[in-house]
Amino acid sequence: MKHVFLRELKLNLKQILIWSLTVGILGFVSILLYSSMQGDMKSMADMFSSMGAFSDAFGMSTLSIATIEGYFATEIGVIHGLGSAMFAAITAIVILSKEEERHTGEFLLSLPLSRSRVLFAKGLCVFVGLVLFTIICGLLYVAAFAGLGEGLTASELMKFLLLEFLMNVEVASVCFLVSAVSTRIKMGLGLGLALIFYVYDLMGRVVPDLKDYLFIGPFSYANASEILSGKESEPAAFLIAAAVILVSAAAAVFVYNKRDLVS
Amino acid sequence: MDNVIEIRGLSKSYGKARGVIDVNLSVKEGDIFGFLGPNGAGKSTTIRSILGFLKKDAGEIRVFGLDNVKDREKILADVGYMPSEAWFYDTMKVSDVIKYAADIRGGDYSEEAAKICERLKVNTDKRIKELSLGNRKKVSIVCAMQHKPKLFIFDEPTSGLDPLIQKHFFDLINEYVNAGATCLLSTHVLSEVNRYCRHAAIMREGRLTMLDTVDIDEDRFLKFYEEEEEM
Repeated sequence: MKHVFLRELKLNLKQILIWSLTVGILGFVSILLYSSMQGDMKSMADMFSSMGAFSDAFGMSTLSIATIEGYFATEIGVIHGLGSAMFAAITAIVILSKEEERHTGEFLLSLPLSRSRVLFAKGLCVFVGLVLFTIICGLLYVAAFAGLGEGLTASELMKFLLLEFLMNVEVASVCFLVSAVSTRIKMGLGLGLALIFYVYDLMGRVVPDLKDYLFIGPFSYANASEILSGKESEPAAFLIAAAVILVSAAAAVFVYNKRDLVS
Repeated sequence: MDNVIEIRGLSKSYGKARGVIDVNLSVKEGDIFGFLGPNGAGKSTTIRSILGFLKKDAGEIRVFGLDNVKDREKILADVGYMPSEAWFYDTMKVSDVIKYAADIRGGDYSEEAAKICERLKVNTDKRIKELSLGNRKKVSIVCAMQHKPKLFIFDEPTSGLDPLIQKHFFDLINEYVNAGATCLLSTHVLSEVNRYCRHAAIMREGRLTMLDTVDIDEDRFLKFYEEEEEM
């Protein structure tokens, strides 16, 4: 199992670096731009905070965009949230189904390995990829705060990154299940799922009737404005996240062990 | 002699499409068993069921006396399999693929692998994506043989191999079988069955028939295929 995990990680390393550096550097540059935009932000802050539902949707009613917390939440929060969710989705949705689409499954599964072990090794690789993504982005944000001379507190940044990471794991678990069921790479579906989860959260914050059901989506507890304004997420959101992760993982094991392997 | 492979009442379908129907087969230790049949007759379905790639609808498969589902890992540790299409990870070097298979098997088979590579003229420095089908098949042979398994399962192994490599391949099989291994060989090539196999069976329309001899003449052999086309 160790060898499958290490080979998979080696194979995914380039993708992990490309995605984490892209999102991290975008965040890094955006943070550094804060000082040059600070003057304009002050005059825009009042206008942005009074745009009703749209201010709520982008968190501009809870935090002022003229503060570093508000700026981070509205700019970097969106970049990191969406970028990391897309990365989580495409990494997980490809990891199992690629063996059948590229016809390598027969080679791998003719070796003395159970399907569950292959599944565990690949699931672990997705998890470690998400950890590396979070660490790389986190380090780039810290470097940008150091360059800027101001920033989030360590506990604020840690809380933000941990909740984003949990959201990534939830998105990845759903896509991992899709990968276990599918014999073809469904990268478009993975990206689509990440976008649907994001848009569901956005819509939930704009449409009053949807607000009560916001906690169902993985972005509900990963909203940067709420995290940085100290607003606690609904416990039900975390319970649903835990249930989605566990049920998806269990279903992936069940389906992958039961179905025929396509040559 | 014990049965290395024992199949009783194997049936497998793919939805409405026929796979194999009530297949019974025994392969004894030390045998080179030829498995003939037209395309789509069910040879690969039988082989893939033995290896646990497919979930059977009915029947029982035992390899080395063990259940092929419950004891799959234990069985595969002593099996060398070569699929009809030899696919590997494109970006890996041949040497890395061979070592990867050995690492998962938990042993150092570098000496045996080097011996097989030399006989089959395998260039281990190339990347998989640079190889032709024939050369990928040679890598597949090395991966299947390097750990000196007790059972070889080859699915159309010689297609894409040049005649000299085919000869070296069968020489290797004979050496391993003489040392105690068993071989199940699925093929379309009658001369391979006549020359190398000790027993044989033919699959037609998902059903298996044992042949009383491996000395089949071409007319009789082609008749099997014609009957399949007529059905």
